[in-house]
Amino acid sequence: MQRAVAAAEQLAILALARADGLPAFAADGALSSWEVFGQQLVTGLSNGMIIALIAIGYTMVYGIVELINFAHGDLCMLGAFFALTAVGALGMSEWGGAGGAVGLVSLLVATAFFCGALNWSINRLAYRPLRKASKLSLLVSAIGASFILVNLGLFWGGMPMDVFAGGNSSAAPKAFPALVEPEPAAHLGDVIVSRPDVLVLLVTVPLMGALTWLVRFTKLGKAMRAVAQNPTAAALMGIDVERVIGATFFIGGSLGGFATVVYSIYNQTVSFQMGYRMGMDAFIAAVLGGIGNLPGAVLGGLLIGVVRAMSDQYIETRWTNAVVFGILILILVFRPSGLLGAKLREKV
Amino acid sequence: MICTMSRSMFRTTASILSAIAAASLLLAAAPAAQDGAKTLKIVSSLPRTGSANSQTTSIVNGIKMAIEERGGMVDGYAIAYDDMDDASPQKGNWDPQVESANAKKAINDPAVVGYIGTYNSGAAKVSMPMLNKAGLVMVSPGNTHTGLTKPGTGEPNEPAVYRPTGKITYFRVVPADDIQGAVACEFCRGDLGAKKVFLLHDRELYGKGIADVFRKSAQASGMEVVGFEGIDPKASNYRSLVTKIRAAAPDVVFYGGTTQTNAAQVLKDLRSGSCKVPFVTPDGTFEKAYIEAAGKDAMSPESGPVYITFGGLPSEQLTGLGAEFVKKYQAKHGEIPEAYAVYGYEAGRVLLDAIDRAETKDRAAIIAAVAATKDFQGALGTWSFDANGDTTNRMMSVNTVKDGEFAFVKAAGGGAGKAN
Amino acid sequence: MSAAAPRRIRLTPWAGLAALAAVPFIDALLPGGLRLEDPMSEVFIYAILALGLNVLTGFTGLLNLGVAAFAAIGAYAFAIATCEIYPFQLGFWPALGVTVAAGAIAGFALGAPTLRVRGDYLAIVTLGFGEIVKDVLVNLDTITKGTQGINPLPPPSFLGTPLEARGQYWLLLAFVTVTFVGVRALERSRVGRAWISIREDELASRAMGIRPDHAKMLAFATCAALAALAGALMVSRLSSSGEPGNYDFQVSILALCIIIVGGIGSVRGTLVGAIVMVGMNSIVLVKLSELVGSPDAPGAALDEAQGLAKVGVFLRTWAQNVLVNPTNWKFLLFGLALVLMMVFRPQGILPPRPLHEAPPEGGEEGA
Repeated sequence: MQRAVAAAEQLAILALARADGLPAFAADGALSSWEVFGQQLVTGLSNGMIIALIAIGYTMVYGIVELINFAHGDLCMLGAFFALTAVGALGMSEWGGAGGAVGLVSLLVATAFFCGALNWSINRLAYRPLRKASKLSLLVSAIGASFILVNLGLFWGGMPMDVFAGGNSSAAPKAFPALVEPEPAAHLGDVIVSRPDVLVLLVTVPLMGALTWLVRFTKLGKAMRAVAQNPTAAALMGIDVERVIGATFFIGGSLGGFATVVYSIYNQTVSFQMGYRMGMDAFIAAVLGGIGNLPGAVLGGLLIGVVRAMSDQYIETRWTNAVVFGILILILVFRPSGLLGAKLREKV
Repeated sequence: MICTMSRSMFRTTASILSAIAAASLLLAAAPAAQDGAKTLKIVSSLPRTGSANSQTTSIVNGIKMAIEERGGMVDGYAIAYDDMDDASPQKGNWDPQVESANAKKAINDPAVVGYIGTYNSGAAKVSMPMLNKAGLVMVSPGNTHTGLTKPGTGEPNEPAVYRPTGKITYFRVVPADDIQGAVACEFCRGDLGAKKVFLLHDRELYGKGIADVFRKSAQASGMEVVGFEGIDPKASNYRSLVTKIRAAAPDVVFYGGTTQTNAAQVLKDLRSGSCKVPFVTPDGTFEKAYIEAAGKDAMSPESGPVYITFGGLPSEQLTGLGAEFVKKYQAKHGEIPEAYAVYGYEAGRVLLDAIDRAETKDRAAIIAAVAATKDFQGALGTWSFDANGDTTNRMMSVNTVKDGEFAFVKAAGGGAGKAN
Repeated sequence: MSAAAPRRIRLTPWAGLAALAAVPFIDALLPGGLRLEDPMSEVFIYAILALGLNVLTGFTGLLNLGVAAFAAIGAYAFAIATCEIYPFQLGFWPALGVTVAAGAIAGFALGAPTLRVRGDYLAIVTLGFGEIVKDVLVNLDTITKGTQGINPLPPPSFLGTPLEARGQYWLLLAFVTVTFVGVRALERSRVGRAWISIREDELASRAMGIRPDHAKMLAFATCAALAALAGALMVSRLSSSGEPGNYDFQVSILALCIIIVGGIGSVRGTLVGAIVMVGMNSIVLVKLSELVGSPDAPGAALDEAQGLAKVGVFLRTWAQNVLVNPTNWKFLLFGLALVLMMVFRPQGILPPRPLHEAPPEGGEEGA
């Protein structure tokens, strides 16, 4: 009996598929080639802005301690797990309207604080003891930290909570609730700008402004620039170098925290392995723009996002990574210190 | 002062390292002591570290249940089981060197009479010839690459290269890609009435293999392939790809890939890019993790239909032994077994059954017994191993997702196997 | 004391070599579960790869994050040169020659255009090169068979006879020994001192008449050739090229960790690093994770905690789902070991001797 009902349901599903599924595009109409280009541009810029946001945190730390921070992406990954836990524990996906907006802002701030504190702690435990050692030792320590964070993410994903699928498979990717519904916010012809696209813009641009202000006009920013230029001289001028480095790690990490919330809402997926790509993209963006250079990192991020989208469309998806790296190498061959980077000082 | 500090630190480090080395030697030596005369050993070699962990955990659970079911004894012999990992931590995925080492370890241990593995077909290519030469039987719960067993489907030298002795020592309980790809294609063309298909694959052996078969069958049956793209399974999203798909206006999108290679992300981006065509994936996504990863919205019927093909019938459709397995598994693990658990269970059971039937418990007799498996009453139906070492079970099913659970749509394929 | 020291130094390498050569016999004496031959073969392959990387990153100071790409080029060159499905079908030794040449050419090809690129910018160029090579190998599947892998490949042979396991082990040992001696000789040669002086101060070495561009190109080619050799030896031993994903960024990272943990720039250190890292991977980590994730221990302890109601149940389920699975701990232990090694011994296990202890003819570095 039950089976008969089930079978009837299945037929209904099939019928639905036929009636409903197939003509979806007929209503949409074929996209004109300009619309395709426009849509890819929107996608590319959105993705690029997220990369840029991760990259500025990355490049800030680089500017001060010259560390290729392999753990940065994985830090963002843990931030995403933190955010997902908060969303699950508070049932935030049910909040609507003003409550939802306040919740979203609190989530951004809390995750940023979490990532900042974590980054500060990693610096304290894994990098600070190596301040006098060679850069490569620091690099290996960062690689080690990255492995540890990945494993923590694996553990975290196994927590018996609904948002983690009851913890039944810790390694599987987790769905991040659509706190901002992926609905169109604006139509430009057939080019859709979705609400998550707008969210990316709304978070990224003010943060970049705030960061520029911090680095340029505050006392801390001045100290950061001084330490980046010459730590010994900065120390002689009475700057507490370790404190400034700690603060930089905190700020860099918290930018990663903001970025990871935006990333998670935009992609709706959190996985313990997502840090690899996040860190890699950030690294490329930072290098492309000129390591340590904040506007450069933004430019690099946007460039990568747009190149990826265009390559997906006009070349082939399977070549996209090679295209991105090929362009990167070409740019570095002709501009060995990145697009906006200061020319490396030859020793005199 | 500083100098002495660092020297003593070096000594400490050195002593710690040597202590670790000594401890590992002891640990490594310990298990070897309990080799009893009447113990037979089964090993499995699966990627336990990294992203495939949840599938392989299901498989291992299945194998363990098969052993427990017999009380850990077969024909008066105690069965020991060793769960080996063929992934390495720095790779987070199967590693050929580790797989090769696992195979050697099994070969060198005289108590080992059966090798369950591998999960990845690429790994099988490394260990198959080794185990074949050593005359150790290999039963795979996960390999679907056609060339491993079927002549004329892969390279001209396949599968002979995997059988240096000419004998067949490799068997698999899962139907190969050729069957599944064709079933998926037939479902899209016949049941969904699709005329234009957009094919995606993850550029891995499994995903690309199945997409290739789909493409061939589509061309043979007059369906138009409007796109064939290998995607980057590590990408954060596929929005630009979705725009490309929208521009190609297919009736159905097929993705040859797995949950690990981001099938859920592809689906989500399709749906949030307001592309509502049916999305069809193979059995690499037939696990709850796929539903969980895609989330409620992307899986809801309003967003568009989702179909998953699977080599065998889903748990709730099983009757007889299969249904019993489901019940037992549920009692033990508190959940309905995943597809992979059934494969693991089936691989374990067929191997134990062969050990039971073998007159002498040596490796050669057990190979012969596995090869002679006929009308095996398994959880996946009643099936046999054919002359190539493939299962004769061609029963496939098409499933969809309803209210966050897999729901059976129809059986397909048919052939020699039948659901008992 | 001073008389005994030089004698011991001369004896140690021979003793070490003899011990390594005896490994297959020692294995026969050890209980069944433990075989050193296999992990040691892996150590040798990674040691050759890392020795190559050490030339570029250790001696010359050019950070390379894509050394796996050269190994991939070597592996695929060897596979295509030997496998029966291609028309070439060379023997083991001629194919090795082709492989090393292909590696060196690839090294030049990457090194030449990027001479101007420095420091971490060079690091990302090499990283990008690694990713491009991997993607090309996957995508050009008509030639490389994509992710299918190329097989079968001939096993290592000697004087026309294919070698069995033991013979392969000794052949690998011979390769490592030759590479080790060769790299040490290079280090002390004119070009080796040029590399080191470039690392210390490129401008000063240019002033001393060294041509940094030539020396760097040579370092790139040497690194790539050795890495290609390692790749070829690996696939020959496995009889399959595996898939391009086997030569990804993680392999480059492992090679880098080997030379830094061993002591950057130190040839002996590289060997020790390979033993420590690969040994950690294939023996220590496996055993340690079994210990940490022992199924009984945490479960029993948490059973008692069940009285704590909700929190207890939460923790217990969590532990059962994840923590008891030993393999779930591998990343953590691996990472922890790296961080601890760096924090407690940042210069590596066997750092190179300081320059002023080097033979007096190393004049370029003076002043």
